[in-house]
Amino acid sequence: MKTYEVPQEIKDANALEEKLSLLKHIGRSFSVYRVDCGSCNGCEIEIFAAITPMWDPERFGFKLVANPRHADILLCTGPVTRQMYYPLLRAYEATPDPKLVVALGACGSTGGIFYDAYSVLSGVDKIIPVDVYIPGCPPHPASIIYGLTTALGVMDQKLQKESHIEENEIPSLIKESLIGNTLFERDLLVEAKKLMSYVFGRKLYDKYLDALIKSGDVKNPKATKISVTEAIQTEEDPRYAECMGILHNEIYTHYIACQEEDKISLHRVQWGKK
Amino acid sequence: MMKLLDISKKYGDTTHKYPFEPYHVADNFRGKPAYIFDLCIGCAACGIACPSNAITVQLNAEQNKLIWEFDCGRCIFCGRCDEVCPTGAIRLSEEFELAVKFDKSALIQRGELEVQCCTECKKPFTAKRLVQYSFDCLSKANVSQNRLEEAKDYLRVCPTCKKNATVSNFTTGKEVVIE
Ligand code: SF4
Ligand code: SF4
Ligand code: SF4
Repeated sequence: MKTYEVPQEIKDANALEEKLSLLKHIGRSFSVYRVDCGSCNGCEIEIFAAITPMWDPERFGFKLVANPRHADILLCTGPVTRQMYYPLLRAYEATPDPKLVVALGACGSTGGIFYDAYSVLSGVDKIIPVDVYIPGCPPHPASIIYGLTTALGVMDQKLQKESHIEENEIPSLIKESLIGNTLFERDLLVEAKKLMSYVFGRKLYDKYLDALIKSGDVKNPKATKISVTEAIQTEEDPRYAECMGILHNEIYTHYIACQEEDKISLHRVQWGKK
Repeated sequence: MMKLLDISKKYGDTTHKYPFEPYHVADNFRGKPAYIFDLCIGCAACGIACPSNAITVQLNAEQNKLIWEFDCGRCIFCGRCDEVCPTGAIRLSEEFELAVKFDKSALIQRGELEVQCCTECKKPFTAKRLVQYSFDCLSKANVSQNRLEEAKDYLRVCPTCKKNATVSNFTTGKEVVIE
């Protein structure tokens, strides 16, 4: 599909030198017009979070205006739906030259999660020239403030393109198993992630293994039962406490031959009491 | 009016000093996925899990390198890549200052990995590091020495050739002993 071609006079008026001289002049006060090109509203909410007194961007002259004719900066969100194509162009042409265009959010930068949907043009930069990209879905208010201050030259850009070509030897990534079978650790991690998601599951996994090691003899179900029970009782967070018990009953007993009485009866152990 | 002043006195100055002072994000904040090339084995689990295809893992045009590429502009910070990565090569960091000016390619990260060619059909099918990692896994998983020796060979055969070998073993009635 053939999209908008920027008219020559707008192109000339928006050359890089013009933009840089604009930045020099608006350094302390700039008006931002916000164009919602079909965003899911997540980005809008974060923009409004960013203009609350918590972040107070008027400290460096950031002001939202209601009309593109008053704006220096166009803040575009959303993946540009077909319906918002012409309104975006109208706002772009109405903004006085030279202007800066900021693409906000994953959608604005590249189309984000919607990039291959049938009804979007995926990214503001497919239609009009974009100067600053602020990734995030939605960007944190601090990221928005950072993006705008980067645009103004107050802060420096941190991200650079990274390319790795030289290949080093990989370190040995697999640790020796506690009980001599890495499948035990694998199942333990899978179950821990299933119980508590990947962030807390990893913590749970570490806590449980610590408890096992504390028993002194990891292959002895009697000793491990005592040490895991103790870990459950001293654990402050009831979620970890209960899940450690479940891990012990379901995974450990599967790999070490245990009697029924070696399982921890969870309703008899008290946890989370402080 | 006085009431307003009272309220603002009670809460004091709440405006964050950012960008003039560093800002500390909340615990478990999902920032930019940080990639550690030295740990990546090129298994492509992240590329499959990524819902917005911000990560792609593909062979290059000459078919001699596996290219891992991440486009931060498309990432939605869901953390699935972090969840599936077996080696911790990609972890969400607390990095939130991601804006780039004028040049979008600053958002891209790339890694090039050596490819392993199939010993039967000589076509590339996976990364060398993945083969090494799989062998490492097996060698610590309580399998017998014989099986390990066999593994050295069959890890370097591509799935298509493996399938063909199984079919021909079946149809010719050859016995395969698995210890
Ligand atoms: S970047 Fe994310 S939050 Fe913003 S509009 Fe797109 S989907 Fe919504
Ligand atoms: S955080 Fe989500 S969107 Fe971003 S690279 Fe990882 S899987 Fe893809
Ligand atoms: S090792 Fe991790 S980062 Fe590398 S391809 Fe596999 S999942 Fe992705």
